Amino acid sequence: MKTGVPLALFVATVYVFLLLPIAIVILMSVNAGEYLAFPPQGFSLRWYVAFFDSAPFTRAFALSVVVALVAAFLASIVAAPAAIFYVRYLRVGREQYRLTMLAPLLLPEVLTSIALLFFFNQYFLGTTTLGPLLIGHIAIAIPFVFLTVSSALYNLPAGVEEAARTLGASPWTTFRRVTFPLIKSGIMTGAMLAFIMSFDNVNISLLLKPLGTSTLPIQLFDYLRYDFDPTAAAVSTISVTLTLLVVVVIDRIYGLRAVRF
Amino acid sequence: MRRWLLALPALLMVVVFVVIPYLNIVVMSFRTPSATAIHGPGFTIANYARALTDSLYLGLLADTLLYALATTSISLVLAFPVAFHLARTESRWRGLLYAGVLSPLLTGVVIRCFGWIILLANDGLVNQGLGLFGLGPYRFINGVGVTIALVHVFLPFMILPIMNAIQSVDPHLAEAARTLGASGRHTFFHVTLPLAVPGIQSGVVLVFVLSASAYIIPMLLGGGRVQTLPTVVVQQLMGGLLWPFGATLALILSLTALAIIGVFAALTRPSMQRVR
Repeated sequence: MKTGVPLALFVATVYVFLLLPIAIVILMSVNAGEYLAFPPQGFSLRWYVAFFDSAPFTRAFALSVVVALVAAFLASIVAAPAAIFYVRYLRVGREQYRLTMLAPLLLPEVLTSIALLFFFNQYFLGTTTLGPLLIGHIAIAIPFVFLTVSSALYNLPAGVEEAARTLGASPWTTFRRVTFPLIKSGIMTGAMLAFIMSFDNVNISLLLKPLGTSTLPIQLFDYLRYDFDPTAAAVSTISVTLTLLVVVVIDRIYGLRAVRF
Repeated sequence: MRRWLLALPALLMVVVFVVIPYLNIVVMSFRTPSATAIHGPGFTIANYARALTDSLYLGLLADTLLYALATTSISLVLAFPVAFHLARTESRWRGLLYAGVLSPLLTGVVIRCFGWIILLANDGLVNQGLGLFGLGPYRFINGVGVTIALVHVFLPFMILPIMNAIQSVDPHLAEAARTLGASGRHTFFHVTLPLAVPGIQSGVVLVFVLSASAYIIPMLLGGGRVQTLPTVVVQQLMGGLLWPFGATLALILSLTALAIIGVFAALTRPSMQRVR
């Protein structure tokens, strides 16, 4: 279909709108001056040095990476079998089951974090350990693994599993040698999306973090509320780069098209 | 049925740590407040009475829904052409364009707010640029900045479903309409747009819910001047011990948003049925 010039211009403007704020943050992080001004005052990596010298930021960064890795790993272990069960075996109540698995994605995160805050304070020790934060992150990561693994299972070439079974493979062997290798990329994509969702999460972390600890987005949030300098831009750029790396890996092994909402 | 064991860990996780805590908030919203404990003894509907009669909270609810409505409408207007273009383009940059829509979604919300603060602050880049023309400085760190950032953060949630809907429509349908003599405008309004309705519907619901429950964005771009129900609830919960009342406010917001979505779904149902 031919598209007119006005449409192309409009679309281009929206892309600029979408990407400008991120580009500005990256630009500011390599700006030599104290504050971003027209024109930028030269190139410098001093704000990255400032980041590595800042104990609160490096500690928050390390915590975020660890939490995101653990959450992505555990969410995959829990949600991938649930997706296999949904696609292969579940016959009754399929829609209810699917909605339950997707609930953490469909419900507003702020309400989920309030719900968890109450829950842990009323029936457990409260938010004194990293436990509640981790559980919250795993919960919001489950739908992503569930979605990507189910779609990988639906996209399996028809009949390969039956073929393996007919040729005498046990169910376990069929899974290990046929199904799993074919859905591995789906699981990996789900795990990486889960990593990103956890790594960037603010809504769950803000209410559930133990006192005195911070994940990177929370540290940044606190920083921005009172004051900011280009150190925050350097931190943001590092975080964006990490996320983009993950996205590039997803794209390589699975294709971004698989990421649907 | 040993196969159930496959689903058990995830089901337990979601039921114990999502479903039960949600039911727990409902119970909490009916508890009596207490200055020394999480809640007092017994149950009451006083929290609801207070939230629904106090003009402060009703005003906050109205503001929150207005922000959500503005965000949703602006997003729809911006998203449709982009989604249409993305679904139909044959450009070799298509993958890159798709990544352009997806990448803001995968950048933390705080970072995107930071970008807007740099742009919109009183001495920010937009005002510096306007200053070159002798304009401004204008104050954007208020409701305006909040709306801009809300649209920015949630726009991909509008673009992607609409794009998927348009993609699943056979492009030959529009061509057929043109061949049969329909004008370009007629084809758009009578063929392409109606077929995109399911995508528009999910986009609208997503963006409305997300922007009605946003609190990071109003806190960062409102400069302390913008209060919405989620920001007040979160501040109350982090500061004081008014948990039963906080639970009530959170539930009232969710139920109102749900009701609006219900009305919206009912209104768009006729056009949905025409699609099927």
